[in-house]
Amino acid sequence: MNTKIRILLQGGRVDGFFAYKTTSGFPFPTLFTLENIQELETWRPTPARYPILKLLLAQARKNPHAAYGILVRGCEERGLRELFKYQQLEQDKVIILGQACTEGLAKYCECWKPYPDALDYGKPAPAMAKSRKVEELEEQHREARLDWWLSHFNRCIRCYGCRDVCPVCFCTECSLEHAELMLGEILPPDTSFHLVRAVHMGGRCIDCGLCEEVCPARIPLRSLYKKINRLIEEILGYNPGISKEKSPLSFLGEEMSLPSGPR
Amino acid sequence: MEEKKFEPRILAFLCNWCSYAGADLAGVSRLQYPSNIRVIRVTCSGTVSPHHILHAFQKRADGVLVAGCHIGDCHYIKGNYMTLKRLKFVEGLLDFAGYDPKRLRLEWISAAEGIKFAGVVREFTETIRHLGPAPPFDAIPLLAGNM
Ligand code: SF4
Ligand code: SF4
Ligand code: FES
Repeated sequence: MNTKIRILLQGGRVDGFFAYKTTSGFPFPTLFTLENIQELETWRPTPARYPILKLLLAQARKNPHAAYGILVRGCEERGLRELFKYQQLEQDKVIILGQACTEGLAKYCECWKPYPDALDYGKPAPAMAKSRKVEELEEQHREARLDWWLSHFNRCIRCYGCRDVCPVCFCTECSLEHAELMLGEILPPDTSFHLVRAVHMGGRCIDCGLCEEVCPARIPLRSLYKKINRLIEEILGYNPGISKEKSPLSFLGEEMSLPSGPR
Repeated sequence: MEEKKFEPRILAFLCNWCSYAGADLAGVSRLQYPSNIRVIRVTCSGTVSPHHILHAFQKRADGVLVAGCHIGDCHYIKGNYMTLKRLKFVEGLLDFAGYDPKRLRLEWISAAEGIKFAGVVREFTETIRHLGPAPPFDAIPLLAGNM
């Protein structure tokens, strides 16, 4: 049984803890409390990923005075920091325990930080400095890139899965449902659907890749947002989930935060 | 049959305090510039959201011009800082998505720069004419014949 989580629960530091429980052979995200504390399992690495931050957020909204613990991966820790920045969660009401991802998962994710800073379980796998998928796209001609994206975008069934699973999509009103911006009932939605979402990811995406994972049309969304992250880093020197301050796109800003180039 | 000449459709967002006044001055001074431009006056260039830009392309604009006060001159002090940050980002996004970022142009034009305004419009119209019509945003499944 997991001692760290048990101590947090029994010591009253948290009212509940989000971790995983094996159900029919699969790890499922579960809220542990004093009631089911004996069901806690020993930690083991798993490639299974869930929108666990969404579960925490929903729970915290229901019980604003309660404190919760959560077992996070690298990307989930970055997501938490964004949620703190935008006052979606209170930092002192969230206790984190961190787990490292396996090397296999880090490769699959082309992850640049496959472990949280707060590391309690597992050994950090090497980070991947580059994304081969993004580079391949960058090497293509622009026209070829357009065809490539269109050949994927045209499968979108506008299910909003990518948005709904996103840990940093917490708006109550969504531009993707704006009647004039997202013309009518057209299927597939036009490119602006994906570009508007990409704009919203600028300065917010923590590169967990859940969007791509849930997309029933298997649209390579993660490559799009990985590029967005790179742009934000190059232009504004900002890394969502790492940088302490808020995204430079969320406030008017100082001269020093302006991109270089002709003014 | 004679080919119809391509006339670019350019949408311009001009801030009320500088660039719109600059355009006005160009008009009053009877400076010549192409009529391909359609102007939308905005309170500050910083109010032009990436949504507006994407919506313009979605509605088949061939080019989008965003113009505001020079850095340091914004009527709202730092509005155009936002414009600059956003536009650099949207340019990169358009490029990666396969749209030529030259179709989006940012200029600082003061109320006194009527000549600059006319010059920018002339030059931008030529750039877009050279690029041809913008690719549509419709994600229509590719037909076998188009592949
Ligand atoms: S992006 Fe993938 S490898 Fe990186 S922390 Fe998240 S799950 Fe782990
Ligand atoms: S999850 Fe995929 S199919 Fe669904 S809205 Fe997002 S991109 Fe479209
Ligand atoms: S008022 Fe002109 S750019 Fe802000």
